[in-house]
Amino acid sequence: MCKYREIARVFLKSQMAWRADVAFNMIFTVSRIVFASLLWGIIFAGKDVVAGFTFHGMLSYYIISAFLYQLEMSDGISGEVCARIRNGTFSKYMILPVSIEGYFTAMEAGVALFYLGFDLAAALIWVFIFRIEFVLTADVTIWLCSLCMILLGLFFMVQLNYYLGILTLKYQGIDTFLMIKRHFVELVTGSIIPLALFPEAVVRVMKLLPFYYVTYLPSMLLTGKLAGEAISGLGILAAWCALMQALIRLTWSRYSRKYDGVGI
Amino acid sequence: MKKNLRVIRELIKIRFHNLMVFRLDFFSPFFVDGSLFLVQLLVFRVVYSNVDAIGSWGRGEVILYIGTFSLLNAVSMSVCFFGLLGIQDKVLSGEMDLYLTKPVSPLLRLTFEQVNPGSVPLILMSLCIIAYGAKVSRLQIGPESLLAYGFWLLVMEILYYEMEVLMRAVSFYVISNARLIQLEDASLDLCMKLPGIAFYGVYKLVFYMILPYGIMATLPVQRLVGEMSWRLGLWGISVVAVFTVLTYVVWTRGIRRYNSASS
Repeated sequence: MCKYREIARVFLKSQMAWRADVAFNMIFTVSRIVFASLLWGIIFAGKDVVAGFTFHGMLSYYIISAFLYQLEMSDGISGEVCARIRNGTFSKYMILPVSIEGYFTAMEAGVALFYLGFDLAAALIWVFIFRIEFVLTADVTIWLCSLCMILLGLFFMVQLNYYLGILTLKYQGIDTFLMIKRHFVELVTGSIIPLALFPEAVVRVMKLLPFYYVTYLPSMLLTGKLAGEAISGLGILAAWCALMQALIRLTWSRYSRKYDGVGI
Repeated sequence: MKKNLRVIRELIKIRFHNLMVFRLDFFSPFFVDGSLFLVQLLVFRVVYSNVDAIGSWGRGEVILYIGTFSLLNAVSMSVCFFGLLGIQDKVLSGEMDLYLTKPVSPLLRLTFEQVNPGSVPLILMSLCIIAYGAKVSRLQIGPESLLAYGFWLLVMEILYYEMEVLMRAVSFYVISNARLIQLEDASLDLCMKLPGIAFYGVYKLVFYMILPYGIMATLPVQRLVGEMSWRLGLWGISVVAVFTVLTYVVWTRGIRRYNSASS
């Protein structure tokens, strides 16, 4: 555990070298808020409630989901694993005295911890600038459930990206797939529009998938909605994490021998 | 002119030879950008299942908007995007020397040296989206409207190209234009998702004038649906004219400033 804590600490510190990235990361969270404010501003001009959301409830949802979306930075893991397998330098991770997946999880934890404060500050600034009457639940149990769900969701995304990365061992070129995945993940996590707007049958299917619990449900819980789904959501997401872990182990044991360290 | 056409033909031929080596990557841009616009269509389908209109636009107009933006993007991807993408690296590494020593305009060569036929299906897909949008909005499109729409598409494609060149030509003046590219990505991402009719106040100022991504697909669609006033038309033409001059000045002065690998 010490080793992983050290990895997280190193990555947390190394973020200090990229100060401009931090600042721009904060600034660009605004694009989602601008999108929400303009799109929903024009829609709510003729309506008070859309799919159970008031205008300020909707913007509060976007503030929280943009914050969570920005915090989730594991997307680079699949690209890194894929590139290193392709050019034969994945050995760098194989010789480390830690589990490779654990290394990436600790890395993600370090980076996310560093950005946590900045993203939170950005969210507060946007609430103030856009004069949003921020809707936030005061229920402590819901807060605890949401925090657990956010952590599990971040872990699931690390697992997913790591799993997709190691698929390079079998499929060699997965860059196109990774880019397509990015577009669909943005949609099914509710980062573009809240999933509550989808038809009920679609939402029912989405509830069976893990993406529903990564950004959408925690955002809804924190804005005081769907409290009844908190516990079951945690269970489903934990089950998906376990399933993904098994899938990673199976894929790694089956294909790791294909890696010869000389690139493709 | 004749010489330039010959150069373009040769560049396309060489590019085809290169692409045949990596056949698997041939249709990547189509799948990646196709998925992006399919997601957009899906998003607005969902939004319109909850609301009747966004401003004055119904679902058909928004589909037309997505199709038009997709078409502008697809043409750029097919012709010049991948060539222009490398400008910054070439300036930083000094590789631009090779372009300056050739008896052809460096920008012409950069524009056409990485044509991407794999993006051509994206053009066809965009045309299908536009046709679908026209059907949903029950537009009666006469030849005059179609011609005017084509004209605005052409004008906005020029603007799209100029913005791509401009954002990358800045690398002649600064060490890194990464933030500018990030700004371009964020603006494009926003304007792909949001029709220009949704902008007001300071947003309109930014996306109709300073970073004019907001007018690129909006104006052609507004012309097609008969919403374009002569003032708006004049505004569109003026913006393109200003950006043409700006791009020309930034590029030519940038080339003069270029000091090989030490740039």
